[in-house]
Amino acid sequence: MPLKFTVNGSPVSLEDVPGEATLLEVLRERLDLLGVKEGCGVGECGACTVLLDGQAVNSCLIAAWQAQDREVTTVEGLAHGRELHPMQQAFAETGAVQCGFCTPGMILSSLDLVSQEPDPGESEIRRALSGNLCRCTGYHDIVRAVRRGAQRLRGEGSES
Amino acid sequence: MSVGHSMPHSGVYARVRGETRFGWDQQGYGDLHLACVRAELAPAHIKSIDPAPALALPGVVRVFTAADVPGEHNLGIIAVSRDQEFLARDTVRQRGQAVALVAAETRAQALAGARAVRVELDKLPGVFTPAEALASGAPLVHPDHADGNLLRENKIKRGEVDAALAASAVTVEAVYSTSPLEHAALEPEGGRAWWQGGKLVVQACTQNPHYDQADLARFLNVPQEKIRVIQAETGGGFGGKLDLSVQPFLALAAWHLVRSVCMRFTREESFLATAKRHPLRMHYISGADEQGRLTALKARILGDTGAFASYGLAVCMRAAVHATGPYHVPNLDVACRMAYTNNGFYGAMRGFGCPQVALAHEGQMDALAAKLGLDPLEMRKINALQAGMRTCTGQKLTAGVGLMQCLERIEPIYRAWREEAPAQDGLSGVGLGAMFYGIGNTGVSNPSTAQMEWGPDNTVTLFTGAADIGQGSDTVLKQIAAGRLGIEAEQIKLCRGDTARTTNAGATSASRQTYISGNAALAAADNLVMNLVEGAREMLGERHLEIELREGMLRASDGRAVEPGEVARHMADQGGAARGEGAFDPNFSPLDPETGQGRPYAAYAYAAQCAKVAVDPASGMTRVKEVAAAHDVGRAINPRAVLGQICGGVVMGVGMALMEEHRPGREGNLQQYHIPTAADAPAITPLIVEDPEPTGPFGAKGVGEPALIPTAPAVAAAVSQAVGKPLRHLPLSLERVMEALSSRGESHED
Repeated sequence: MPLKFTVNGSPVSLEDVPGEATLLEVLRERLDLLGVKEGCGVGECGACTVLLDGQAVNSCLIAAWQAQDREVTTVEGLAHGRELHPMQQAFAETGAVQCGFCTPGMILSSLDLVSQEPDPGESEIRRALSGNLCRCTGYHDIVRAVRRGAQRLRGEGSES
Repeated sequence: MSVGHSMPHSGVYARVRGETRFGWDQQGYGDLHLACVRAELAPAHIKSIDPAPALALPGVVRVFTAADVPGEHNLGIIAVSRDQEFLARDTVRQRGQAVALVAAETRAQALAGARAVRVELDKLPGVFTPAEALASGAPLVHPDHADGNLLRENKIKRGEVDAALAASAVTVEAVYSTSPLEHAALEPEGGRAWWQGGKLVVQACTQNPHYDQADLARFLNVPQEKIRVIQAETGGGFGGKLDLSVQPFLALAAWHLVRSVCMRFTREESFLATAKRHPLRMHYISGADEQGRLTALKARILGDTGAFASYGLAVCMRAAVHATGPYHVPNLDVACRMAYTNNGFYGAMRGFGCPQVALAHEGQMDALAAKLGLDPLEMRKINALQAGMRTCTGQKLTAGVGLMQCLERIEPIYRAWREEAPAQDGLSGVGLGAMFYGIGNTGVSNPSTAQMEWGPDNTVTLFTGAADIGQGSDTVLKQIAAGRLGIEAEQIKLCRGDTARTTNAGATSASRQTYISGNAALAAADNLVMNLVEGAREMLGERHLEIELREGMLRASDGRAVEPGEVARHMADQGGAARGEGAFDPNFSPLDPETGQGRPYAAYAYAAQCAKVAVDPASGMTRVKEVAAAHDVGRAINPRAVLGQICGGVVMGVGMALMEEHRPGREGNLQQYHIPTAADAPAITPLIVEDPEPTGPFGAKGVGEPALIPTAPAVAAAVSQAVGKPLRHLPLSLERVMEALSSRGESHED
């Protein structure tokens, strides 16, 4: 079936998308957006998280046709050229990234959170990220990064 | 200078942009896709494999079996115990072992082909527990293995244990056990192979590219030079990417088909077919005198090593030499045995047996302290290893023994938590864990090598075979080299993990890369400086000029100064290059096979942690609220990276303590095997202790595995305190906690 949707701000039109194709498969295999990761294929790990109309979803659980006429944001759509998104910058500076496999999904879930709650507390952050697994960092520095990113997005300076 | 600064991880900006290409992301247009046909039952005799139904399907190009392997069938990291057939020949030894490999035009076609291959298996009698395996008359997992189903026994003997136990003021006898664990690195195994310049190139996730190259060459029966292995960016490993995974399949298919191929394991396949943490059963008898000084330890440890040896020999030996924990014990009789079974194979996982024995040695400390009426922290201080003392292998420790400092750092936190009022709505507890950990491989040579080059354009490059799997060795090695050269680490380019361009650094395991490859990088930097100085003398025409590299310039005693790049240009004009070579192998001696005495490691890391838990008496639900973790790392080359390792290790330890348990032979996924989420993770206070290691680069040791080891014992002790009964079997599931709550006040002995 044909699929028309917006990906990272650009209109995309695809032919012959199989009905059973997941959004994850279409993003990776048809659009070469390899920042979308597959960690489990069953919606447990959150590595495949993308924003669908601004809301964080597991793209391995979403059929591609569900994105028809909607807007998808992947990690590739966050930076403006060389300039990183404030949340990406915060993750990079804070030790929130070790192997980096969970990072794209982690950043997108964080953006979903701060779009709803611009000043999230520690427990809100932990709850919001509980669908995104990380095996490297122990989440300690990820929580710090989200606070720092949220602060920057509110237009406040960075805490030291 | 870059040593001691928290510079961001090398490559972090590509990671936050999603530009980093992991194993599976290497996939190229036109690649064939591979999928394994895996045995549904084991042990079993392979009666027949019929590829015809698969070959009749669209897109299926070829089906490979063991008959297509040109070289050695048995692969494995430890040369004396290579026994893993990546395509089973006659016998399937574990469920999920591959028996055939399908190559097809698309992944869906490869998976369909794998389902269509007809495999006829005749089930054979098997063994599924170590006790069964070691019983007389048990079916043999590897009939040609000399010791039946016993992979190895390691013994440690010192003094007179029975007499010392008899003379002890108190003794404690208890049995502890741990469960099989899955690494669950977020990236499932994946990679690609292709031909380039007459070589077969394999680019996959790995913790040890040079080992991969050597084993793939054996597998294909070709000289090593014919194979080039490039480490793909690796999304975590924790020991799970030390064994070969997709690489033999990629190499075999690309070899025969002379086409580019790609492959990944599904998460289910990763659970089924890759190594797990060895479950150990540990029977301990410990004694102490009236003052709380340890007198003796008698320990019998039995582990399941599964169907293949993998790292079983290393885990067996490491569990034995760390069985005492970080304490001075004058009389010892320790025996650790590993048995083959038909369970999925067990291998390396963060700590190599030490997280398991830590449960036992720490449990014993608490039990002895309780009997003596001593405070658990006091008990540890009384017995803590210190410089001048001997370890259980008789090795005299001379410097860099920071355990006491670790205990002192957590003491105020521990005391404050102990004095907090108990939670109103539930039970709470505070527990301790301590550890020591030998850096590098046990009682064997395990060298690393590195090179450095100063280019004519002033670029400085460090060449290392050390795989960075997310822990940060790229960053730390650059910092060490930069520290020696007196330049900024950012100025150094890295060439890493490519067998065509770098030399062997050994495995990213045993917390060894900072210490061993760091020393190799240091030596390469020194050698580079020496060669630059020689080049400068020649260029300046004075053979005996005193010259040093300072602030990025080669400065001569006569006041002249030249740019190293200019010297490099001069050297290039002469047909040479400004290069430096470095190597390092820790000073060790092998362990005596009967007594286990010797010098297994050149350096040890130390740590102490305390955990605070809350237990809901109605449900058994346990939460680790806080953990304080003090780690002696010698010197923190990159403090933020050290703190990151500590926090990551603590949370993995919480998983081991409370929730993680792999059922052998099951595929499973992260729905069945739970690892801690952000909501499960405790608040962590990571504390860095720096007691410099005289042989370490800038005094550094390692921290990757130590970070995990004390956590589970500390949590177990805290839960034991909360429920009023010692808990000695991990994980502390709801059922185990509820059972403990319902039997409180009964005997404390197992």
